[in-house]
Amino acid sequence: MSDGNPAKTTPYTVPIGPIHPALKEPVMFTFRMNGEQIEKADFAPGQTHRGIEWMGMRRNPIQIVHLTDRICGICGVSHSLAFARAVEQIMEIDVPERADYIRAIIAEFERIQSHLLWAGMAAHELGFDTLLHLTWRVREQAMDTIELLTGNRVNYGIIQIGGVRRDITPDQHPAIHECLDYYRDLQGKLLRIFLEDATIQMRCRDCGILTRDDALRLCTVGPTARASGVNMDVRVDFPYAAYGDLDIEPILPDRYLGETRGDVFDRIVVRLLEVEQSAGIIRQCLDVMPAGDILWETKIPKILAAFKKAHGEAVGRHEAPRGEVLHYVRMDGKEHPTAWKVKASSYSNLMSWIPMLEGEQIADIPIIVASIDPCLSCTDRVAVVRGGRRSIMTKEELHRLSVEKTRRLMR
Amino acid sequence: MLECGDAMANLPMIPELLKQLFRQPATNTFPAKYLPPSVTGFLKMVSRGEAAIHPPVATPPEFRGKITYEPEGCIGCSLCVKICPAHAIELVNETKTIRIYVSQCIFCSQCTDMCPKGSLKMSDEFLLADEDRYSDNLIVE
Amino acid sequence: MSLVDTALAVVLGTLAMAAFGFVAGLTVLGIDRKLAAHMQARIGPPIRQPFIDVAKLLRKENVVPENAIPWLFHAAPVIAFASTITILLYLPIGGIAPVFGGAGDLILIVYLLTVPALAMVAGGFASGSPYATIGAQREMVILMAYELPLAIAVIAIAWRLAAAGVAEPFSLAAIAANPVWGVVGPLGIVGFAILFVILAWVTPAELSRVPFDAQEAETELAGGLLVEYSGKNFALFYMAQGVKTIVMAALAVAIFLPWNLSDFVAMTPAVAVVADFAFFLAKVLLVAFFSVSLIRVSMARFRITQIVSVYWLWFGVLGLVGLLLIVLDAYAGVW
Repeated sequence: MSDGNPAKTTPYTVPIGPIHPALKEPVMFTFRMNGEQIEKADFAPGQTHRGIEWMGMRRNPIQIVHLTDRICGICGVSHSLAFARAVEQIMEIDVPERADYIRAIIAEFERIQSHLLWAGMAAHELGFDTLLHLTWRVREQAMDTIELLTGNRVNYGIIQIGGVRRDITPDQHPAIHECLDYYRDLQGKLLRIFLEDATIQMRCRDCGILTRDDALRLCTVGPTARASGVNMDVRVDFPYAAYGDLDIEPILPDRYLGETRGDVFDRIVVRLLEVEQSAGIIRQCLDVMPAGDILWETKIPKILAAFKKAHGEAVGRHEAPRGEVLHYVRMDGKEHPTAWKVKASSYSNLMSWIPMLEGEQIADIPIIVASIDPCLSCTDRVAVVRGGRRSIMTKEELHRLSVEKTRRLMR
Repeated sequence: MLECGDAMANLPMIPELLKQLFRQPATNTFPAKYLPPSVTGFLKMVSRGEAAIHPPVATPPEFRGKITYEPEGCIGCSLCVKICPAHAIELVNETKTIRIYVSQCIFCSQCTDMCPKGSLKMSDEFLLADEDRYSDNLIVE
Repeated sequence: MSLVDTALAVVLGTLAMAAFGFVAGLTVLGIDRKLAAHMQARIGPPIRQPFIDVAKLLRKENVVPENAIPWLFHAAPVIAFASTITILLYLPIGGIAPVFGGAGDLILIVYLLTVPALAMVAGGFASGSPYATIGAQREMVILMAYELPLAIAVIAIAWRLAAAGVAEPFSLAAIAANPVWGVVGPLGIVGFAILFVILAWVTPAELSRVPFDAQEAETELAGGLLVEYSGKNFALFYMAQGVKTIVMAALAVAIFLPWNLSDFVAMTPAVAVVADFAFFLAKVLLVAFFSVSLIRVSMARFRITQIVSVYWLWFGVLGLVGLLLIVLDAYAGVW
């Protein structure tokens, strides 16, 4: 419309971040713009590194479980579950079956509240604040149920090495069913308001496309990958906790819309349908949950003593609301682990921003950035600051530093 | 762009909005409907009985709020000190009791779970905002 | 002597209108926030909140960015506020005739409406921030986009009044004296209803509200045009926003809902002034609710390209359809 304007045709740079209303967590974007169109996108994470792994290496796994709760404010149970599973594999603990079911129930409640939170956030990025208020209001039902089951709305603290800390008692079942019924009744309205709304379609359809090939090449995980038609879900591919006994099918957008475009709209579809799926999984769990213990060992001093006999390394995986989360733990017969490495789900998804953003407009930046549900404080594991200046390290440099550190440790 | 024209007609939110206009808002008006000019002033008025506070949303039975401690039963085993993920508990050597810094506490309830004497409990108190992290309200001993 | 009288009347009238614009504008903003909040199931701030905000902003300092052009940066909010007050002087407020009643017409108002927008553009470019620059570019594009349907609406109304034999069809006094609905047949009523809808949809763009707020776009540009404004300057822009809301609603009222209560119910002149004024405020609130509050909470923000398409293609075509209906209506009478 104003292509003749010389000011708009010369490429210029727009910085977004580290602090900007479009971003809910700090990350630094640099866009080379041509008018309203993005020519080149670049980003620098690492703005919110907290050194949580360093803290973990000085604590025993029972303490670390509570740290993992705080890696992410929204996936409270995902990191704890992945970490606990890693430690349990090292120590060869058989988690009681009932505990496995309770873990799955809490994880699915977390998925419900996380996806609803994301849907509200996405609506806000589109300037549709009413939907933000609506989804966050209905999210409260899940939060209240989580609070009832675990004792807190956020930072549930339900996972323990070898089980869970709180049982689901029969008198809590009516409240859980009430919550599930609420979401069953709400689902139609939610889908209608999000998917039939003309303005949301105008903004999200064919916007921020991630092709299936790019999704595979960039190793995306979770709803971001599924929205591009990649059929993957850790719960189905590598079942753990109670998921092996349950009937789960990964949600792909073509099952609802008949086609997969891999755009922002598909990501909304996948997440909204997963709310319903999670409610179904919780129902299944409640139906078939066996009676029994919820902890492998109730006496904490005994667990602490067992850490001192643990040797080995293991990887714990969990399908968090944002995708696969992975914890690597190594224990060498001490109370605290020798190594603990967290790979949050967003870490795998961040690179998909580049193909999504290039060629789109400034107006689409917030919704595209939000569409992978980025969780940057979970992702940021490293920040290099030397003499007050930040620097970017290449793969080779990182490799060299890792080798040096390993040699130092082995000495 | 004619598709844009068709699309304009489809705004499923509008009937919902007009209905909601005549319904009660969902917000819980804690502590008052509108922000008082001074929150501390308002709370003082409440304590003098000059103003009414709107109650917060009720906490569930097993809520993890501010920690309570009964030194009578405590044997000073310091297991809680060892297990606290936030290093919020210290052992007072003279009395063989513990001191808990609530400003440091992360409300995980791990210590109350494992206290062999049941001296530690979680209360349902959650209004702990303070200007001084070492105020009397935030140190339990 | 009469010159002094006129001057005195103009000065007093202007001061009264500025006071009215300030109070009514901020009140409308407060009511808009309250209604929007209730539609979103929130309680929202008290209606007096805009006054509290302005009082606080006026006590705060102006921060001028390093790259800014200070004189332009400071002048823009003053121009924006003053020009919106100026428009108010040409609009009838209930039974009260406009201060500059005989001097200007609808065309002048359409021109004056662009002045606050241009002041914001100037302020945005003067800020020296990339966000404000993008916002200013977008504001210019939006300005061009909504001028087309607005111009179609204004021309259609004036042309129809001229066809009906009204002298000076562009004068608001003539429009108020001959309500458009009265001079046309059924086809024309449909045509004017379409134009009324168009004016209602131009209002959010004029006021930079969702879905046409790409120039401020909180989540993209962090406030766009206004990103660098703070303190007193921001308060002036905020007040201008309130007055502009009144202006747009009063314009729609003057063209499409010009009736006064005293036309229907017999009452003494003193009562009539008060009753008409109250009735006018009620009409303004009604128009503001449907064209600002309801629209802004019920949809997502458009991209700048979509705003242009919406106004040029969708509302442009709709406006031409309305115009065509009115033309047909005018000749139907002749045939």
